[in-house]
Amino acid sequence: MTQKIPTELKYTKEHEWTKTENDHVIIGITDFAQSALGDIVFVELPEVGKTLNSHQTFGVVESIKSVSDLYSPVSGTVVEVNSELINSPELCNAQPYTGAWMIKVKLTKPDELNTLLSSSDYSTFLSTL
Amino acid sequence: MSEPIQTTSLHQEHISLNAKMAPFAGFDMPLQYSSVKEEVLAVRNEAGVFDVGHMGEFIVEGPDAISFVDYIITNDFKNSALKKAVYSPLCRENGTVIDDLIAYKLSPFRVLICVNASNIKKDWEWINSKLNSFNCTMVDKSNNYSLLAVQGPKVEAIFKELGLIGNEDIPYYSAYETKYEFEDLILARTGYTGEDGFEVFCSHFFAKVFWQKLLSMGVKPCGLAARDVLRLEVGYPLYGHELTDEITPLDAALAWTVKFDKGNFIGKAALADYQAKYKLIKLSLERGIPREGYSVLNAELMEVGKVTSGTMSVVTGKGIAFALVEKAKLTKTYFINIRNTNYEAQIHTKAFVNGGHK
Repeated sequence: MTQKIPTELKYTKEHEWTKTENDHVIIGITDFAQSALGDIVFVELPEVGKTLNSHQTFGVVESIKSVSDLYSPVSGTVVEVNSELINSPELCNAQPYTGAWMIKVKLTKPDELNTLLSSSDYSTFLSTL
Repeated sequence: MSEPIQTTSLHQEHISLNAKMAPFAGFDMPLQYSSVKEEVLAVRNEAGVFDVGHMGEFIVEGPDAISFVDYIITNDFKNSALKKAVYSPLCRENGTVIDDLIAYKLSPFRVLICVNASNIKKDWEWINSKLNSFNCTMVDKSNNYSLLAVQGPKVEAIFKELGLIGNEDIPYYSAYETKYEFEDLILARTGYTGEDGFEVFCSHFFAKVFWQKLLSMGVKPCGLAARDVLRLEVGYPLYGHELTDEITPLDAALAWTVKFDKGNFIGKAALADYQAKYKLIKLSLERGIPREGYSVLNAELMEVGKVTSGTMSVVTGKGIAFALVEKAKLTKTYFINIRNTNYEAQIHTKAFVNGGHK
């Protein structure tokens, strides 16, 4: 199975992607994650204003038969949430890197970005699974 | 006591279809092939096939075969018609549930018992220990039979096209032995999806040929995840979830399967005196998905029970669940606690989804 791994994004071993815009980061789950989960039928996201530490759970995605936590790759404050996913969780399967972005976080520890995986590192990591 | 994982005769088929596999009851089984949603809808609207070769099959034979099976199960088997299938709990003397099973009255002297894969050894030892005064024998055929469940509204037409069945009436919950392409089969109009369809007990060789034939005719391979959604949607219990060693059929909404007027059976005396401690209820949520183990609360937000099985219904798009609630704490308003939020639930007295079986 081939997964889409856009080169302009950074990744985590928990299968989240991040897109950096100045001091903000947009977070979602990868094509591999949505494919492994199957039909996603429920998404729970934090409130705007919530502060997150890196590796802290910020939400949940549920497929028909499973519940998976979402882990924040960075520390910061949630400034925006994609509320469209509440009513259209299937976007996570259809558009993991675009329509199904999950949260936008204002970074408090920008150095943490250096700990994220490049697309080629993530691709290598996937090949070990 | 970790034993090596077992496989069914169709294991290689699942691998070559790239199924997501998972251990279930000691077997490496297909959880899903394409999408659970598509698999559920195929069974509700067209036709799907499940490999359920992990399930256990015992053949009871002899002059007392029927009266013996009637004695070990709580439902009425003796008075059911020849060729009928009967769903029943299998209970201990104290009324607790060892397993639930389907008994098929193949002839006046021959009964097929189909049991849950997770309970084959427990059931075999229990039933064997009760045989002594009866004039019949029991053989464990679990490793000899493959079992395919072919389910959905189009299955009858497909079986006719294959020449497996003719125009004769085969009632729901009946079974008979037949020959097809020189193979001995047991064809049963049963399944656990709520839809019409058949379960085919057959040789391992025939299972492979038949599986491939069905797929070539457009029947969708379906995994255990879809099977679990299908049985929950139509409100069927599953052993290990709604039924356990700890409770009786009267706690699990199965009073209809305990026939006190049929003659003596194991557990009769205890169950006749038993006041149920629990009630199994069906709940749905407008928002949120209930899962096994979640707390069920009353209007005062006191815990009154637990979810025993839960999922998102593919047909209704809502979270649906079975919950075991303490009988003394039954109420009119329930909440399900999901990650520290309480969601008000709707109570269902009927199935969440109406199956299309006859």
